[in-house]
Amino acid sequence: MAEEAVFDLIHMEAVSYVFQGEKISEDEAVAKLEHMGFATGYRLVERLTRESGRFKDELDIMKYICKDLWVTVYKKQIDNLRTNHQGVYVLHDNRFRFLSHMAAGKQYLQYAPRYLAFTCGLVRGCLANLGVTCVVTAEVTQLPACKFQIQVQRG
Amino acid sequence: MTIYNLYIFDRDGQMLHYAEWVRKKQSGMSRSQVSPVDLREGYLTYCTNKYRLHLFETPSRIKFVLNTDAVATGIKELLHQIYTQVYVEYVVFNPMCPLSKPIESELFAARLDEVVRQSPAYASRPA
Repeated sequence: MAEEAVFDLIHMEAVSYVFQGEKISEDEAVAKLEHMGFATGYRLVERLTRESGRFKDELDIMKYICKDLWVTVYKKQIDNLRTNHQGVYVLHDNRFRFLSHMAAGKQYLQYAPRYLAFTCGLVRGCLANLGVTCVVTAEVTQLPACKFQIQVQRG
Repeated sequence: MTIYNLYIFDRDGQMLHYAEWVRKKQSGMSRSQVSPVDLREGYLTYCTNKYRLHLFETPSRIKFVLNTDAVATGIKELLHQIYTQVYVEYVVFNPMCPLSKPIESELFAARLDEVVRQSPAYASRPA
């Protein structure tokens, strides 16, 4: 419990730190968090998959992200995984950890994207190290639910 | 038994939150009995002939003040629950809530209401 609290609080501080100061734009701050997430994910997945075998295919990798990675980092699984089988995957989390203490509904909705940037990077970093190059974006319409969209870059 | 209202103050005495459930203003009434009991563990209560006031103070000196009728029981446990399961979860771990500013989170207010309404002291109130 205590180590989860530390992770939650340090993430909170990371967000507030990059958004401090007048000089920095919203996009720049989000990019910084995303980069932190990427670097974290890139290294983390190496450690987490040290006991697992090789993955069968891309979908297998996505299932790994939804189950094992999410349980390790956020203590729950992704609630729903959808794909168009053409390289787009949508991960629904109905109760995303970083938003679950903030609101249930639309309050603070405008600030919610700040708390998703790190995680987008985390997913992108994990996938990058597993050989999947992609773009990860996130969307919230109602806290604490959110969805992450993974667009795999081919070729 | 019934629960009237709740105040949360920070260490400087600034009010962070106020909530009320049942409140019948009874001004000018005489206090027949003022008796602090159980001074240990940051919990204090006194009783008049009309109501009972409960004060719970955390190690960080946040104060929770709850008014109930004179016979309500289990309020110490309820205040501890409000502190750990509502205040800590939805204020301390809410990045949108600056500490030592009045609480604006709607989720906090909703959870607080839920916890109070579910407490035996609230449920068993007479019609």
